[in-house]
Amino acid sequence: MTLIMVVDDDQDLAEMLGIVLNGSGFEVDLVNSGDQVMPLFSSHEPELVLLDVMLPGMSGIEVCKEIRKVSMVPIVMLSAKGDSHDVVLGLEAGADDYMVKPFNPSELVARIKVRLRRSGGDSHTSLKIGDIVIDQVAHTIIRHGKTIQLTRLEFDLLVALAKEPGRVFSRDALLSEVWGYQQAADTRLVNVHVQRLRAKIEEDADNPTVIVTVRGVGYKAGTGYE
Amino acid sequence: MKAFWGIRHRSIIFRVIAVTVFFSVLLITIVGSVLYLQISSEILREKLNESVSETRSLVDYAQGEVDATLYLPSLKIDKVVDKILKSGDLTLAASPREVALIGTPRTTGTRSANDRFNGASGGVNIQSIPLTLRKQVVKSGDIKWIRSWISYRDGTRVPAIIIGSSIEIPQGLPYELYYIFLLKEQNIIISFIGRLLLLSGILLVLLIGAISWSVLRRALSPIRDAAEIAEQLTAGDLGRRMRVVGHDEMTRLAISFNEMAVSMQQQISRLENLSRLQQRFVSDVSHELRTPLTTIRMASEVISDNKEKMDPAVARSVELLQSQIARFEVLLTDLLEVSRFDARASILEVKETDIKNLVNSCIDQAHVTDNQEIVVNFPPESVMANVDPRRIERILRNLIANAIDHGEGKAIHITIKQGQTEVAVSVRDYGVGFTSRESLHLFDRFWRADPSRSRLRGGTGLGLSISLDDANLHQGLLKAWGSPGRGANFVLTVPKTPGISIEREPIPIDPPDELSTIPIDPEED
Repeated sequence: MTLIMVVDDDQDLAEMLGIVLNGSGFEVDLVNSGDQVMPLFSSHEPELVLLDVMLPGMSGIEVCKEIRKVSMVPIVMLSAKGDSHDVVLGLEAGADDYMVKPFNPSELVARIKVRLRRSGGDSHTSLKIGDIVIDQVAHTIIRHGKTIQLTRLEFDLLVALAKEPGRVFSRDALLSEVWGYQQAADTRLVNVHVQRLRAKIEEDADNPTVIVTVRGVGYKAGTGYE
Repeated sequence: MKAFWGIRHRSIIFRVIAVTVFFSVLLITIVGSVLYLQISSEILREKLNESVSETRSLVDYAQGEVDATLYLPSLKIDKVVDKILKSGDLTLAASPREVALIGTPRTTGTRSANDRFNGASGGVNIQSIPLTLRKQVVKSGDIKWIRSWISYRDGTRVPAIIIGSSIEIPQGLPYELYYIFLLKEQNIIISFIGRLLLLSGILLVLLIGAISWSVLRRALSPIRDAAEIAEQLTAGDLGRRMRVVGHDEMTRLAISFNEMAVSMQQQISRLENLSRLQQRFVSDVSHELRTPLTTIRMASEVISDNKEKMDPAVARSVELLQSQIARFEVLLTDLLEVSRFDARASILEVKETDIKNLVNSCIDQAHVTDNQEIVVNFPPESVMANVDPRRIERILRNLIANAIDHGEGKAIHITIKQGQTEVAVSVRDYGVGFTSRESLHLFDRFWRADPSRSRLRGGTGLGLSISLDDANLHQGLLKAWGSPGRGANFVLTVPKTPGISIEREPIPIDPPDELSTIPIDPEED
């Protein structure tokens, strides 16, 4: 069974989340404060973390940063302030997606399933984007002989761009293909993650050559050189 | 001229100076004229007195000379007269004079004219001696004088005092002897004094004007400062203050002005704080409500998943629970939106949008029952505009939902029209409508047209208020027209590019199928 760690200081909500997720076939670890996350995380190794932004002990943003130091596990933030600065901070700290309270439980489960989905594994055993080699089976990317650690979402984002090298992806298209949103969603998700990905794979993140911005449209795969 | 009147009316300085100059011109003219007349008449009187006494002695002498011819036969009368006529002397600097001798016309007898000795010095035309003087001289037999112009035979005219006396030339011939004192010198002095007075008058007026201008400017400068600073305060620069210098009345003005500004600033910042706290509170409450609402919602979903196993009453209760939770959520979202508008934290996310598509999708999403007719009237060409599609969609959905709610099942007409720089969408229903009194509150938060009327939909009462805020954020217009029993018409007009002000409205607010109308512009109440 897939283990999901639910971090929320509201015990009733955490418990309710537990019931819903159990009902959808997940195993759940309930954590009520930020500082309890890391000890439990290393011993239980959950496959996804649901993280409330506002937490006692340690804020959700800090917890997110701590987790990212040791793991590439998918993180979905739960926020009561959909419009606030917190969301961007959470995404920049490494969260893959966020849900604004009060969310629809079935949508939450759908989001979680998208994040847990194993991409790749099809006929393309290896893809190239710029001077980066993507091994879809081993789920690794290699640049100049060195393996670069990516979160699953970052990996999916890169694969999506690499699979269709000539195509310009709008932000909405990426939201649908990578995040699994059927309706228009927050394009900041795309912007923040492209920035994070560039920081990891580009030689110079300010002058990207692997993921190129197409002004007014979106992004496309680059050639790896200028 | 128009500009002149403009200045006249605008500037207190100009008015005061104009009045000052006007009165000083008047005063200086009066004083100058009096002075001029006084001085000139004084100068002339002096000259006259001198001339009269001189004439007296000259006439006595001349009479003596002519009388002497009676006793001294060696003296020829012609020579004596000639000598008298030569006593005119222009070389006398103090009193240049001419002499004229004229025979008095005889009144009796018809013998030859009495003009044998007529003559004058220096080419004076004896005809130019005024008859009035001559009559006086003949009548009184004494010395008489007059100020008049004397002319020469060559036509030149000179101002002069003419003094005459009768003289008798032997034997028994009545003559008049005139001494003509030329006023050249005096005239020069008088006209010089006149010019001097005029010049000093003009200088004085200019000086008075300049002094009053500078004094007024100085005196009024604090008032001008005050006006300028008041304008800046009005424009929102609450930190502006007047300079306080000296200890006069203007200083008091500056001090009290500044005190007023301080108290205004305090008052405003107090109110701003209050309203910020208020907005914070609304926003916090909405956020705090979200976590429990999430739990409730999830719980209701879990319960609802087992609906088949439930008793029908329980199942219906769960349905109601869920719909009310949904309504609660919408209310919370609206509240948050309102608090964002109040905090001016709303941002326009502009995208090029196909308005026809947007309206169509709004119609699709409106839960239209089968017998609800919706008539659309779209232009054939495409209608594109740079707007925030989320907000425009929210406005339109709200207008359509309202029309369905209050339309009593009659057809709803939706029209799109575009102008050069603006797009308008109208939503017209033929339902209950509203009165002009109700229309005043139409865009108020939580206002309900008729509290006793049952509500078909779970509107939050914030819809139109948010719609108006959304329209305003686009610098657009949202207007309403209504008439009881005849329905309502709402028109949304937005610029095709944000920031451009709307010049004309493609769809007028008065519905074309209505004659008596009550347009309502929510901006104006």
